[in-house]
Amino acid sequence: MIYILNRLLSLALTLVLISAITFAVTNILPGDVAMMIMGTQSNPEALAGLRESLGLNDSLPVQYGRWIGGMLTGDWGTSLVFKEPIGPLLLQKMTASALIVVLSMSIALICAVPLGVWAAVHRDRWQDTTASTAALLGVSLPDFFWGIMLILLFARGLGWLPSSGFADPGDDFLLALRHAFLPSLALGLGLMAHLTRMTRATMTGILGQEFIRVARAKGLAERTVVWRYGLANAVGPVMTVAGLQVGYLFGSIIVVESLFNYTGMGWLTYQALLNRDIPLIQASVFVIAAVVMLANLVVDLLYVLVDPRIRLG
Amino acid sequence: MKVLRPFLTPKGAIGVLLVGAVLVIALLAPLLLPDTAATQMDMRARLSPPTLAHPLGTDQLGRDLMYRVLLGAQTSIFIAVSAVVMSIVIGLPLGIVSGYYGGWTDNVLMRLVDTLLSFPALLLALTISAVLGPNLQNTIIAIGVAFTPFLARIIRGEALRVAQMPYVEAARAAGTTDGKMILRHILPNIMPPVIVQSTISLAFAILAEAGLSFLGLGTQPPNASWGLMIQASRDYLDRAPWTALVPGAAVALTVLGLNMFGDVLRDVLDPRMRGRG
Repeated sequence: MIYILNRLLSLALTLVLISAITFAVTNILPGDVAMMIMGTQSNPEALAGLRESLGLNDSLPVQYGRWIGGMLTGDWGTSLVFKEPIGPLLLQKMTASALIVVLSMSIALICAVPLGVWAAVHRDRWQDTTASTAALLGVSLPDFFWGIMLILLFARGLGWLPSSGFADPGDDFLLALRHAFLPSLALGLGLMAHLTRMTRATMTGILGQEFIRVARAKGLAERTVVWRYGLANAVGPVMTVAGLQVGYLFGSIIVVESLFNYTGMGWLTYQALLNRDIPLIQASVFVIAAVVMLANLVVDLLYVLVDPRIRLG
Repeated sequence: MKVLRPFLTPKGAIGVLLVGAVLVIALLAPLLLPDTAATQMDMRARLSPPTLAHPLGTDQLGRDLMYRVLLGAQTSIFIAVSAVVMSIVIGLPLGIVSGYYGGWTDNVLMRLVDTLLSFPALLLALTISAVLGPNLQNTIIAIGVAFTPFLARIIRGEALRVAQMPYVEAARAAGTTDGKMILRHILPNIMPPVIVQSTISLAFAILAEAGLSFLGLGTQPPNASWGLMIQASRDYLDRAPWTALVPGAAVALTVLGLNMFGDVLRDVLDPRMRGRG
């Protein structure tokens, strides 16, 4: 209980730091929101008036306080590009991206764990070489390159799946899945390669340990030794790496969603960055960092569930 | 010579060969090829498939893809190396101070580093690049800053480990000053993992540069960059898939080489990690 309270306290502190860093980074921008709204050729007096009314003449700490205050009370400001309130906009895009994140993580885990175990069991034999080489190749290709190849093959070549666009899962779930599948696969392949390497490394270490020798000496079936004794011990580390990959995923999602014109969180962030929509940049960067941090907290807490040796104290 | 044996394995040899080839190309291509090689347009051969005149085909403006990919190596390598050097220059003192001194310095610095690690590296790089305005110099800054927290974390861990070694205690008992201790005992002993990590960071930096340029927030035209070339190919995928495949293969081979080289380097320099990955 104390552990969880501690974690929550440090979570709050980190969130404050994340918001401060986000605010600081976006405030080194030359030009300000008033200039973005009125353009560079605008009347200096009107510009000064708008600055005053937006509170841009206040000191940075005051502006930061107002921004945080707004976020806490649910007023996230208005996007300059989309002319919409940022809060609902982010929520909608986050839901769209959640589909891709869950789908790509599932694809990656479902393929990577058996592949990594298979490679570790056949260490230094052709199976290991094949799986390890494929994984190495996987981590060496940019996600957007996978994306382009998938578009060429499944959308242009075979015509099975749409090459771009987004469908709301609430309206037509099957159509939404069809649109989300290729971007998820593009993200999932790179992720799978990372996780395969990690699973292989962890399993190789575990399979060389005493308790595995004992299990084999007891006459247990190899299948039981590997999956029940070996993998049970590898779940923790693999899960931690998968959790860390959520950060990687939210970086890659910007590129992949833009490539597929999938209008989720990554696409929104890209539009904000491209158009220097400062309020939207601040909000989306903050939200992504917060989500990544939360994902890692959840993984840490889940760790306790899968590994009874760890006690929270 | 026994220590160099890992480089003679297939993985090591391929890694050395690929990294060596890319480095040679990055250094020599700009010297050997005419200045206009990457920008000269052959309007009669736009989106031409590989031919004798253009061994890797041409792009939508009739520019030779082989020349562009060779010259793009310089941009990608230059940005990646500069960015990683920058992250070492910032991360090394941060990590050493944090790991060696410990206490509240360590607490404050690592809290900051951990917070920065919550930002996906690519998002941080994209944001910095968008904020500063995309150009070559800012791309280096963006990737360098984005990679720093990760490196600082690793260096801190190593410094912490080395600082507890008996020989450091012995040196301290002998009255060695902090400055001398860091330069003589800490720094040389944390270098092997730092070198390994830097090689792997180089691979990530190449991917990050390609990603940034692909989104238009990295290298800007008319400079040739692999990411930019892939971006330009998007509209012509149906008619000319090689316009994406050629620069994509260049990125893949470079990153693959660096990853293989990094894996083998780790076996040589950091025996504790042998067999991982």
